[in-house]
Amino acid sequence: MAKPGVGRHTGYLFIAPFLIPFAVFSLWPLLYNMWLSLHDYFVTEHVAVWNGFANYVTLAESDSFPYALRNSLLFLLVVPVIQVVALGLALLVQRPLVGIGLFRAIYYVPVVIAISVAGVVWRHVFEYDGMFSWLLITLHIIPEGVDWIGLDKLSLYAAMLFSTWKNVGYYMVLYLAGLQTVPKALLDAAELDGAGAWMRFRHVTLPALQPIVLLCTLLTTIGALKAFQEILVLTHRTQNTVTMLMWMYSVAFGGGNGFGLAAAVAVLVMVLCFAIAAVQFRVFGARGIWGKGT
Amino acid sequence: MRRATVQEIIVDGAAAKGFSINIVKRIAAIGARYAGLIVFAALMGFPFVWVLAVGMSKDPSGIWVFPRAFLPHDPSVYWFKRVIGVMPFFTYLRNSVAMSGMTVAATLMLAIPAGFAFAQLEFVGRKWLFGLLIATLMVPSEVGIVPNFLTCAHLGLLDTYAGAVLPNIASAFGVFLMKQHFEQLPSEVLDAARVDGAGEWRLLWHIAIPMSLPAVATLTIFTLVTAWNDYLWPAVVMNTRLKLPISVGVFNDLTGPFATSTSLIMAALVLAIVPVMVCFAATQRFFLRGVADSRA
Repeated sequence: MAKPGVGRHTGYLFIAPFLIPFAVFSLWPLLYNMWLSLHDYFVTEHVAVWNGFANYVTLAESDSFPYALRNSLLFLLVVPVIQVVALGLALLVQRPLVGIGLFRAIYYVPVVIAISVAGVVWRHVFEYDGMFSWLLITLHIIPEGVDWIGLDKLSLYAAMLFSTWKNVGYYMVLYLAGLQTVPKALLDAAELDGAGAWMRFRHVTLPALQPIVLLCTLLTTIGALKAFQEILVLTHRTQNTVTMLMWMYSVAFGGGNGFGLAAAVAVLVMVLCFAIAAVQFRVFGARGIWGKGT
Repeated sequence: MRRATVQEIIVDGAAAKGFSINIVKRIAAIGARYAGLIVFAALMGFPFVWVLAVGMSKDPSGIWVFPRAFLPHDPSVYWFKRVIGVMPFFTYLRNSVAMSGMTVAATLMLAIPAGFAFAQLEFVGRKWLFGLLIATLMVPSEVGIVPNFLTCAHLGLLDTYAGAVLPNIASAFGVFLMKQHFEQLPSEVLDAARVDGAGEWRLLWHIAIPMSLPAVATLTIFTLVTAWNDYLWPAVVMNTRLKLPISVGVFNDLTGPFATSTSLIMAALVLAIVPVMVCFAATQRFFLRGVADSRA
């Protein structure tokens, strides 16, 4: 359907100013990574030499990269946690109540603080005599203070907690928007039929939220796979905390000619992200588990 | 008024009884909700309370003694003065303002026409191009830091504001947001203007943008916060200390030369957080309404 009086090339004029930086700084990196991952790059000489699949072989044989892969997969634990907490918060702040706006704002504040600034705050919260240890001691969960960042085995989980705290407000808002779309008439009908709060939530609210759950799961999964800045600003970056992208960053900018190797990791993360997006669309999409009804 | 019959009084009484039970139930439910709200608010907000209390305490001896440490000891602005004395905080602030200002201006100029074209204009390859945009949104931008670093090196943009800003304005997010919005514009209005001889550019300026100011505001504020908080890319591309934004400069200083004084760190964190909080307080409705709903 042609629009009256619109030239055939007008559209290109409108998108061209955006398309140029987009092509150079968003699209090109994805293609260039694929090319670079098959080369050795020599920084000072600015030359790249084809090396077949040597970078991928190096990854497979590396002692440290499997740990990075494991840590990144472990980080996926935040995905269900964020969904539950964010949806819980959204239900909590959904209905109007005196001061509810203030609570919504408080839950959102961590989202608007720079990750580096928040990271410095939480380094101190996680000290062995810091706030987090104090809270758990007060609740009789642990007997004495723990250095959450310093203890190698715990610091990845500390980073996950930090990541959850930092991001949950964002997903709360998405769920809040989703809750507005739940048909009130259906909830009322279910209540008349004697459905309790849980049944109404399980059989009315949750199916209606399906598109939002899909969106949020997708976004948090990508967020978890790219976990990196959390590690960079919070932990000591040891074998047990370094994630894939953190590893990539270290080989690229930590000295040595690691750009080709870094590109190989980037390609791996990219493929992983596309694969997960595809799987989640199938599982959660209209033909997925909730679409058919129970 | 006629007098109530006996039957009506009985019915009313039963209703009143049910009513009072309902009130008790509802008060209990509201109390439970407030309890939940307050517990979560404490969990989310207490790190900041502590940071503020420590930054304001001249005497640092009690800062690790909880719960006493949540209130300032001997309150003063001593540590804030120290921070400004030893750290080029206002230079960082100026750099943050400059970099995020440029990012916002450029994003608006690029994303609005592009979003309009994807929503309202016909051209060969439109769907295909938009699919490409969406595909880049699926991949974390961190994946691009090595190629973008090399691109900036080739273009001579390392350690420049342009190098720090360009990759941020290339994000497809803004185009996606504006396209979603421009699609909802009533096509009768646009087509009527077209029949009257208005060009697409005039259409965008005089009809589409004025009808979409809330969406433009949402894009502005989200871009501003993202740019202001961007840490990784400026840390990679900039290396002159006095060119750094707050997110990088303050982090580098607090984890480097000043790492030993907790009071100094906390005062600096307060200074870094306050501008963001002021801006957030003024614009929070845009965030809390969510990206998905930019209509109202």
